[in-house]
Amino acid sequence: MAGLPATDDAYYRTAALVIEFRNVGKIYKSLLGNSVKAVEEFSLTVVDGEILGIAGPNGAGKTTLIAMMLGYLRPTAGAVEINGLPARQYVERNGIGYLSELIAINPKWRAETALVRFATLAGISRSEIRQRVGYVIDLLGLDEHRDKKVKALSKGNLQRLGLAQALLRDEQILVLDEPTHGLDPVWTQRFRDIVEELRRPDRTILIASHNLDELQRLADRVAIIDRGRLQRVVSTGYENTAPLAGTRFRVTLASGHELIRAVFPQAEDAGRGEYDVTVRSIKDLNTALADLISRGALIASVVPERSMLEQQFREAVGESQ
Amino acid sequence: MSRVSSLARYSLWQFRDFVFERAVAILIISFLWGYALIAPLRGAMGSQMSRASPIWPLMLQGASTLVSLSVLIALNGIISSDRKLGYYRFLFSKPVNPVLYYAQAFFVGLIGVVLSMLVLSSLMHTILPIFSIVNFLLYTALIYIAMGGIGFFVSAATRFDWVSLAVVWLGSRILRGLYGPKGDWRSKAVELLPPVHKLDEVANSLIGTGTAHATDVLWLLGYGALFFVLGLALLRWGSLAD
Repeated sequence: MAGLPATDDAYYRTAALVIEFRNVGKIYKSLLGNSVKAVEEFSLTVVDGEILGIAGPNGAGKTTLIAMMLGYLRPTAGAVEINGLPARQYVERNGIGYLSELIAINPKWRAETALVRFATLAGISRSEIRQRVGYVIDLLGLDEHRDKKVKALSKGNLQRLGLAQALLRDEQILVLDEPTHGLDPVWTQRFRDIVEELRRPDRTILIASHNLDELQRLADRVAIIDRGRLQRVVSTGYENTAPLAGTRFRVTLASGHELIRAVFPQAEDAGRGEYDVTVRSIKDLNTALADLISRGALIASVVPERSMLEQQFREAVGESQ
Repeated sequence: MSRVSSLARYSLWQFRDFVFERAVAILIISFLWGYALIAPLRGAMGSQMSRASPIWPLMLQGASTLVSLSVLIALNGIISSDRKLGYYRFLFSKPVNPVLYYAQAFFVGLIGVVLSMLVLSSLMHTILPIFSIVNFLLYTALIYIAMGGIGFFVSAATRFDWVSLAVVWLGSRILRGLYGPKGDWRSKAVELLPPVHKLDEVANSLIGTGTAHATDVLWLLGYGALFFVLGLALLRWGSLAD
């Protein structure tokens, strides 16, 4: 990953601040007086050049946080600031590239017309609109759908249209809520490539997703939220060689099967030359693998049973319940 | 490009939406209503109907109702639909001020309703030459601001704006009818309700003769303008997504 230092807390304390959630809370109240705490005492800073993932189970408060960041909802406590301005004020002045979880575009509009409208609102000059709209249509492979009405688009094409409108302007901040929802595997991979291409030192990208694998690949850090609270912020890099509290890896050997138990006495045979091994740290894993290779074994692959992020997610969500 | 000029450019799209989503409905309903109202009257009275005719007030009443209905259609869901359907999400992630966006939509609606009524009143005028196009358009603009201002506020405040506005409108008429003449605290309280009791009189005088009591007109305009501003304040200080 060519991103920011994932584990350097000092970096995040001193880097240029872009988005700041300061002790934010949101309580929804019904007309009957019932109230639901959607977000509680949430504090987090997101810096320039960072891709931050937001993960959490259903109803954790991810979408509410994003709505407050765009100024659609007012926090009942605390504040959200972007570049030192109240969130809504920043959005009204500068705009944010936003892909919502629910793609709500008037179904009677045609795909290209919808993009021209959004480009007009985004302040793109008349002379540039065709060029920008053409660019995002090409980028998201919407050329054959440009004249279709929004209601005639498939789920995946609608998702791509939503992403296209978010990329119309060269925004400093992008917020993508469940961006690959409904995309086929080809477009899911294409989306990941696009996000990597969008990464630059003066741009901040937030991605809220249930897909931990996606966040592991794209984000520098992931904020894990549950029941409206920030449970922990996890780095997605493997720079940390600290103990992993018993992480399991699946080691596949091309040859030298008889050597596995000499190095990993507790290895479990999973069949077809695959073995499940448990290690305490990345360093231990590497030492053991080097030993295995030096003994003459040929390793075909080493895959964690759960990604670091998945493991952290399970722990964080488990702790809060 | 400034945010204000890009929003001004967007008014053409808002007008286009008005034409296809609202003006067509307004004109179809108006033609049907107008035909059902005028054809029998014209059959009975001929084209030489005068203002002294006993049927003339009925004509004015019909025209007034048509304007109210058109304003309801024009403003139905002006803000609440974007909330209900979630359209606000993409619209207001752009550098757009929602207060200006919806204020512009309100005035685009005013132009749209006046143009729709221009089409209708031109037809009425060819059938009944005593029917004044200018007077009718003045009345349309007045009612758009008076009734539309309240509708705008209701649409900013609630998701059920059409029903709410109808309840406010009819409720005011009924409560004023019940308590208005009593002269006690209740009659003073109903004075705060929308001035629907002035509509018939203003319709008769403004559409019929082109004149109206200045106080009545100011009362109606002021009431609508006040609620329009309250609607804008709700947009400014309320939540877009609630």
